Amino acid sequence: MRKILTVDDSASIRQMVNFTLTKAGYEVAEAVDGKDGLDKIGQQKFDLVVTDLNMPVMDGIEMITAARKLPGYGFTPILMLTTESQAEKKDAGRKAGATGWIVKPFNADQLIAVVQKLVK
Amino acid sequence: MNVDASSETVLALETSRRELGALVRDSEIEIVEVATGFEELARHADSILQLAGAVAGCVEDADVLSVLPRVQSLGAAARTFIHERMEATAGILETASTEAKLLDRLSELTRGQRSIARETQTLSVLTNIEVARLGQLGAGFQYLAHELDEFSQSVTKGTKELATRTDERKTAIEDTRRSLAASLPRMRQEFARIESDLGSALEEIEQSQSQLSRAPAQFRLCVEEIAGQISEVVAAVQSHDITRQQLEHVQEALALMEDKIRAIEENGATDAHEPPRISAGLAIQIYQMMSTRETVGHWVTQIGGCLEGILRISTSEIAEIGPVVVEQERGLSAQLARIEQLEQDCQAGNAEVQQALSGLSNLMGLVGEHVERSRSVRDRMQLLTFNSIVEASHLGSKADTILEISQSIKRISTSWSELTDRSAQAMDEILLLVEKSGAEMKAFSDEGNEALRTAQAETREGLEHLRKAAQFAAQQADEIEISTHKLQGRIAAVGVTSERLSGCFDRMGAVLGEIERIGQQWEKEYPGAAQRCDHNEMEVLFGASYTTEIERDVLRAALTGRPVPVAEQNLAGNDVELF
Repeated sequence: MRKILTVDDSASIRQMVNFTLTKAGYEVAEAVDGKDGLDKIGQQKFDLVVTDLNMPVMDGIEMITAARKLPGYGFTPILMLTTESQAEKKDAGRKAGATGWIVKPFNADQLIAVVQKLVK
Repeated sequence: MNVDASSETVLALETSRRELGALVRDSEIEIVEVATGFEELARHADSILQLAGAVAGCVEDADVLSVLPRVQSLGAAARTFIHERMEATAGILETASTEAKLLDRLSELTRGQRSIARETQTLSVLTNIEVARLGQLGAGFQYLAHELDEFSQSVTKGTKELATRTDERKTAIEDTRRSLAASLPRMRQEFARIESDLGSALEEIEQSQSQLSRAPAQFRLCVEEIAGQISEVVAAVQSHDITRQQLEHVQEALALMEDKIRAIEENGATDAHEPPRISAGLAIQIYQMMSTRETVGHWVTQIGGCLEGILRISTSEIAEIGPVVVEQERGLSAQLARIEQLEQDCQAGNAEVQQALSGLSNLMGLVGEHVERSRSVRDRMQLLTFNSIVEASHLGSKADTILEISQSIKRISTSWSELTDRSAQAMDEILLLVEKSGAEMKAFSDEGNEALRTAQAETREGLEHLRKAAQFAAQQADEIEISTHKLQGRIAAVGVTSERLSGCFDRMGAVLGEIERIGQQWEKEYPGAAQRCDHNEMEVLFGASYTTEIERDVLRAALTGRPVPVAEQNLAGNDVELF
């Protein structure tokens, strides 16, 4: 079963990502902020990461930047799930190595479709 | 503003900020509970959909869908069966009436023959007397007297037997006719009732089959609708995160203003721009809270609406497929049993009718023999007449009496010949009747039942499929009911949590009122201060931490005095943009 990590400081968002992707047949792990996410990424290989941008301790951009340097994570799809929709923020995400951008709230079917496309 | 007033403002802001913080924390707990409850609820809905899906799949099975055409064939075969029986019964009744009339005619003919036999006996006696009178001359006529006697005895015996059998047959046919005449209206009534019941049953089956045939499409629609409702709840739950961030930004702004007011309190208004900044800051936070309150109202309502939608869909027609299949199977089995009973009743009646009609064949045999005998008698009489006239002519006037007797024999022979022809005609009519009743009896034969039996067998086979589907559907229906109860219980529990969540945000009204009061107080102290501040600077000061476009829009609206913008609710959620 493909593994997905959801990183968000909001428990309800993590729950909704977990619910949506588990229902679609994925194994989902949760992290409460960027640092927690990075720790989990370091411990096991995930096939895809869905991360928030603004989080305490370590934000999403920092986490992606660090994750891209980890072995095996150079091309792992990382989607940003955030309330932000500003072009400069998206640009920062792209530069950090994000694969895609979703403005909250996400469309469950769309998320599943994209995850299926990225995780083959 | 004096020191006491400043302190009181700072305290009020601090209290409001803490209340907002508490509110956010409480709502976070409730939203997590709502989300957990919703997940469980979605699992129940999934389970109902899986069960209903299995029933819909079972109903979609070609064997189950073939029940209607099979029952339609059965209906047509039963109708044909009924009509043929009714027509044949009416035909047999008519045959019985015709036969009764024929029997009357036969009786009349038999009476005529018996009268001739008596007359012949008299002629035999007269001939014997004349033979005695003529002495040696009359010896040649001895055979005539003997023939007449034998003929008379034979005819008497034959007609007596025929009369007895005819009378028996008349009694039997009268009983059959009476019985058929009495049962025909009853049969008509019964057949009409069965035909009407079959019509109603077919109509009901067509309706329920049509309902069943719609089930898979309905099921797919339900799946889509529930998926839609689930997506909307997923989106609504996420909206809490946006609300949380907005309220956290309000708290940060309130803390910033507390610091600024404290600084003014401690150092005096060294910077003339500070009061306008605080004025603008208060106005912005009031706008943010008004916008947030409006948005929260939407998504909390949305959660409630979606939950109700899931319950409504889950308990809708799709859950009723099972009982429909069960009901249909019961109705069809009852109809089939009724048709089988009808067939059995008809079979019992068949034996009676067949027995009654078989008597006609026996009668035909007897009449046939009688006609043959009559013809032989006629031929002998004609020969006897001829010989006796020739013999009497040779004797001349001495044999005048014998000649007269011969003339009488000739007359009797003519009458006999006529009666024989009429008997032969009656025989032909009996033959026709036998053929007609044979054709009518075909309707009562096994051959006549074959179409009905084939249709019954096919319906039985179709019913077997339907029965299996019904058993499965009934079993699934029970499980659906259990899951629906669980779903209802879960929805009620989530509803209570949603209420609590809503209650959390209701507390925002009091905080908003307090900040509005501080804003009014500040406006009284520094009239028009908000309008004097630099908008760009305010955007940087209060909007730097903003994470949503709606917050930025609200900030600009607050600064320009535009109406409070409310975030457009994206019920379906946003798409993914891949880089």
